[in-house]
Amino acid sequence: MIKAIAGFFVGIALVAVVALTSMQSLMFNITPSPYGVEETAARIQANIMKPEMKANGWSLSGLRDPSKAVAADGGNVLPVLLVEACSTKYSGPLLKEDTSRIFSILMPCTITVFKKDDGKTYIGTMNAGLMGKLFGVGEIMDKVAADQKVFLNFDPSEPAPPLVRVQPGGGGGGGKAAGGC
Amino acid sequence: MNKLITQLGGTFSLLACLLFSANVTATVDAAPSSGAAATAAAPGEADTAKPKTGSTADHSKFEELDKDFATGPEVTEACLECHTEAAKQVQKTKHWTWEFLNPVTKQKLGKKNLVNNFCTSVRSNESFCNACHVGYGWEDDSFDFTSEVNVDCLVCHDTTGSYKKLPGLAGHPNYETMEWPPKSGKFREATDLKKIAQNVGKTSRDTCGACHFYGGGGDAVKHGDLDSSLAEPGRYLDVHMDADGLNFTCGTCHLSSSHEVSGSRYAPTAADDQGALIRGKNNDRNPTTCVACHGNAPHPGTSVSTAKLNAHTDKVACQTCHIPEFARGEIATKMTWDWSTAGKLDEQGKRIKIEGSEGRDSYDSNKGNFTYERFVIPEYVWFNGDIKYTLFGEKIAEDKVQINEFLGSADDPDSRIWPVKVFRGKQPYDIGNETLAVFHTAGNDDSAFWKNYDWDKALKTGMKTQGLEYSGQMKFVETEMSWPITHMVAPKDDALECAQCHKENGRLQAISGVYMPGRDNTPVIDRLGFTLALFALLGVILHGAVRWFMSKRS
Repeated sequence: MIKAIAGFFVGIALVAVVALTSMQSLMFNITPSPYGVEETAARIQANIMKPEMKANGWSLSGLRDPSKAVAADGGNVLPVLLVEACSTKYSGPLLKEDTSRIFSILMPCTITVFKKDDGKTYIGTMNAGLMGKLFGVGEIMDKVAADQKVFLNFDPSEPAPPLVRVQPGGGGGGGKAAGGC
Repeated sequence: MNKLITQLGGTFSLLACLLFSANVTATVDAAPSSGAAATAAAPGEADTAKPKTGSTADHSKFEELDKDFATGPEVTEACLECHTEAAKQVQKTKHWTWEFLNPVTKQKLGKKNLVNNFCTSVRSNESFCNACHVGYGWEDDSFDFTSEVNVDCLVCHDTTGSYKKLPGLAGHPNYETMEWPPKSGKFREATDLKKIAQNVGKTSRDTCGACHFYGGGGDAVKHGDLDSSLAEPGRYLDVHMDADGLNFTCGTCHLSSSHEVSGSRYAPTAADDQGALIRGKNNDRNPTTCVACHGNAPHPGTSVSTAKLNAHTDKVACQTCHIPEFARGEIATKMTWDWSTAGKLDEQGKRIKIEGSEGRDSYDSNKGNFTYERFVIPEYVWFNGDIKYTLFGEKIAEDKVQINEFLGSADDPDSRIWPVKVFRGKQPYDIGNETLAVFHTAGNDDSAFWKNYDWDKALKTGMKTQGLEYSGQMKFVETEMSWPITHMVAPKDDALECAQCHKENGRLQAISGVYMPGRDNTPVIDRLGFTLALFALLGVILHGAVRWFMSKRS
């Protein structure tokens, strides 16, 4: 009996260790980018503004540079740009219900573009599909995950687009008048 | 480690404050008293109309300067009435001659002679490039370098911020209202020479930056650690120049004497072990080095880690750890320049300019393609202060040309590991002459590349000014040029940490000739260590097992 209980707790401990060590890779996807930070962010923005994505309700909600706040306080961090986007088509149903309105905490969708000490640029996204499954809104979040893949699909034959310096809260597309979603 | 570095940095800042509060040699002397000067304000009567400059002379009260000057040389003539030796002094400096004879390599350097991979050469483009010459009228070989009135005092001593030497005017400012930039529809008022002359003062970050921030044809193009964000920098960008802190000007470190400004990129001081420099002491030392203020043991304290940091100074330049990235301001620095794509025009035959993601030109018909980057992680090299340049006329066989080579090695006691910006480009090469080619870019004549986009004509004219006959055959070769990184010193908290270098694929991965724990290993020693550890573990287990077994028996 003691052996069984001990085995049970050891099992729990092992699962916890595995979960803790793999948490980051499960929750977030990090992929290298062939471009610099600004160009990567600009290409993501350009993809978000493609007609097929606009048709899915997507618009830019903002562009944040958290490293500027650090600089204002006298310090340095490697560049980070947060590309914010939102789709009213996906946010609408979530915001409608009392039970799912809490997911507004994840709005707008944020894609982070950052530089590491190796000098390379990386893109970080949330694993929208897994989040949806975990919290029972898998159908909508699967669509978000599919669109996210389009955002990160770069066409090297296209010239570098200008970075759209959207003020957080501002937006385009359907949600523009309301300041994005 | 962070805490340690924080403490050390605090001490440095204090030391720097103390040293520099002693008010080191000024970069410009106050004007001598003149009988022609108007009466000064009564004692105790504060002149609140002007900010305090520290100067003992108010140039607006000099009769010599109370004139409607028509040209820059007329202003210089007035300056020289009091500052009788100033022009003679300036004419001995690199700022005037644009020449430098490297005493070690014996190469004749200076802007006048060098090739680079930005706009490539001053030759045949003097009226444009010489907007940054400290003189008036250098547009071709006929320029009189002995004429004292050709010296431009205002470009360094303007305090109004309104003095601009525009490209194309051979070092003159605009004396009449003119459209600037060309075809922009914007107009620049005629320069008010009287106002500027009456408000001269010490050099500033703005006056030095007017050229040094814009080297290579634009803001942040050439250096990477010098751009207009340093005009009013925050602490994060440069702890010494921090406008709300120490507020160093360029002249605070680049002390000058008789108008000769210290510090040189042609023969930099790569290693300085002579300790803190007593200001005013008459010797030939370069006062711009970190050691000149911070001393030979810049990390104070008696701990082992402090001693270890100080021990690094015999191999690692201060800049390597304390400038972890360059171009940390708002402005991305140019990293590549591809001349081979220049000359493309739109369907109407007009110049194309495409803006990239960084808000800067990624393509310009006049110049080709560019890339830019912010927070650039430097490349690192051994450097002993000697730089060997590839000069015009040198035969080159390779398709990849090192325009300059930083010399040094791990075995050389004068070498340190230095951070550099490596600028990569593609530029014209004369196949017949087997040399890098000079080409005529700017001007209103038919052979200027920016006028007609004809490489053959531009090369023919350019090579002729260099005394060579263009062979008629050209191609584009890849070039690399390195620039030492020494400005934009970060706050102490942002200095590199040990693990950023002491690891595989860390910052100093490319540095050879030195054993670096964490990066390098010796398999035999590693195996020996692991074996010893394994034996120790086995011993502990065995010992424990025996104890357990014996306790059971008893």
